[in-house]
Amino acid sequence: MFQAIVSASTLRDALDSVSVLVDECKIRLNEDELAIRAVDPANVGMVDLTLDAAAFESYEADGGVIGVNLSRLEDIAGMANTGDLVHLELDEETRKLHIQIEGLSYTLALIDPDSIRQEPDIPDLDLPATIVVEGTHLDRGIKAADMVSDHIGLRVDEADETFHIEAEGDTDDVDLELGRDDLIDLSAGPADSLFSLDYLKDMNKAIPSDAEVTVELGEEFPVKLHYEFGEGMGHVTYMLAPRIQSD
Amino acid sequence: MRLDDYIEFEANERAERRRLAMEKSYAIVDHLESFQHRFDERVQGDSLFGSVSPSIFVGRANYPNVSTGILSPVGFESDAASFETSGAWYDEGVGIEDVFRRRTSLLNSNQPADVKVGADTNVHDAWDGFLGVQREVAIADRPVSVEIGLDGAPEIDFDVGRDDVATPTGPRARAQSADLAENPHVPRPVKKTLEDDDWQAQGAMTYLYRRGFDVYDINSVLSAGALGESASRRLVPTRWSITAVDDTVGQYLRGTVRDAPSVDSVQVWRNEYLGNAFWVILAPGQWEYELVEMKAPGSIWNPDPESGMWLSSDREGFEGRTQYVDETAGAYYAARLGVLEHLSNIGRQAKVLVVRHVSDDYWGPVGVWQVRESVRHAFEGEHGESETFADAVREVSNLLPVSMADLRRKSAMVAGLQTNLTDFGVGSSDDD
Repeated sequence: MFQAIVSASTLRDALDSVSVLVDECKIRLNEDELAIRAVDPANVGMVDLTLDAAAFESYEADGGVIGVNLSRLEDIAGMANTGDLVHLELDEETRKLHIQIEGLSYTLALIDPDSIRQEPDIPDLDLPATIVVEGTHLDRGIKAADMVSDHIGLRVDEADETFHIEAEGDTDDVDLELGRDDLIDLSAGPADSLFSLDYLKDMNKAIPSDAEVTVELGEEFPVKLHYEFGEGMGHVTYMLAPRIQSD
Repeated sequence: MRLDDYIEFEANERAERRRLAMEKSYAIVDHLESFQHRFDERVQGDSLFGSVSPSIFVGRANYPNVSTGILSPVGFESDAASFETSGAWYDEGVGIEDVFRRRTSLLNSNQPADVKVGADTNVHDAWDGFLGVQREVAIADRPVSVEIGLDGAPEIDFDVGRDDVATPTGPRARAQSADLAENPHVPRPVKKTLEDDDWQAQGAMTYLYRRGFDVYDINSVLSAGALGESASRRLVPTRWSITAVDDTVGQYLRGTVRDAPSVDSVQVWRNEYLGNAFWVILAPGQWEYELVEMKAPGSIWNPDPESGMWLSSDREGFEGRTQYVDETAGAYYAARLGVLEHLSNIGRQAKVLVVRHVSDDYWGPVGVWQVRESVRHAFEGEHGESETFADAVREVSNLLPVSMADLRRKSAMVAGLQTNLTDFGVGSSDDD
């Protein structure tokens, strides 16, 4: 059983954060939250999303799992205006999701969840540095790096207590230095890793610019990015595997 | 030798090579004159001549109103097959001059055509006349006897382009007519792809490859518009079709190793041909590929001897790429094909860095087949192994004309290899 009403913007934020990595996913309709966990086909980027029941106007679910084609669902959500409410109801008999937006009805055929890639487990990585940064700063660093390269360095200078977003291109270099004053919080530790911009750009697209992003970082280790949306009732964690120098 | 003496010596060497290259071009011009003689001997009466045609050529200028032609080695009919670009050229060890000689011996008798042929008829239905004969030549598995009526004398303008994909071309003449002088032999699988007009081009190309046709054969079939869904069939400029086939077959091969285990050591393979050296570094991990090209001052695309080494690169990750490459053009897909054929053969995947060093001995572009065959044949004989990818790159870079720092800036793989989350204990237990 699943029946919910949610604002179009909250639904879109949730779907966007997942669709940057995968085309289809399982959605867990837990009693107290909606949850999605997915890893991209190359096993390089992962997303873990939860949207609390309180983020919905109304929410009733009993722990079922559905499989959806994300771009289809995003297209439908895109039909709504920002303030519109989206009604979602699962038809258990036909395994279809009925969606209603301001008089528009759409019946979405679901995908067998067993045919979708298994959800990953999140390992307990001990990442030595934590940086809390405004979404706009992250966005600025990523945009600048993208001008010169297709990979990006994230680094903490422990002595100066600064966070660096860096890129080395064919001829040009970019370095966005963020000190304690620019950051919301910094817990310095040895941290210096290189990432593919293809992935980070996509993840960045889903991060609202007014979000606070918590970056957990290590040395040649995956990065974790956490942020919230939907007035703090939606939670996203991204994890991205680094590019490493094998020496 | 002291360093400054050495530098001067090197500069003199370069000047000498340029002079030789010029001479080689003059040799080609001489050759074209001899073509004129042979041609005059062959042409009967009203510009009608008989020859044997091994292949076709579709130009890309003015697309979609292209010039489409039948190539014939006038005066060398008995040896016509050797004039068709193929992997055999590598086995034969042809030199740059040989390539130019062969290509410029081919008369391109052409007609203008819309790539879709007409508003009502598409390529698929155009069986008659010049296009029909052209297609027969393209799909036949051996040179075909033809009679061609020309509209005037051939134009002999020799212009060495800087095109890295298509081979250089020779004399051209506008054709009035073309007729088959024999019933061409067409292999059964090619007939099948020709006749099935409900079969998407990519699938049909892959089918031919799996049936043992090399990319050279598939390229002419595609170029003549002889496969694909009927409404989509059209003439494909030779240059585009070469890369389309390399890309399509490469994607198929990449699929065959997608779930394969990885190579278990870091291997360095090398080959050198026609002034181009190729280093292929394979490292354990899931598929990732990059081509880095360094073009020496004085080589064909970087003619100014005073300019520095010209670097270009393109890459793809596990999922491949959707956009055409920015910097390395057809060489990217040709080298990738050679690498993927090897990996598919051994049933492994790998992280693959290909470094192409074009020296100033490469004075004329012979076509991208040179890249394809050099990489294909790089995996013969011995190879080197090293502990890590970084070690391999460092050792190779000692023999390259660029610093490690410049290489790191140009190459994403040298800067760092993409890991996946499984390497860090993220358990997604199924990988299918």
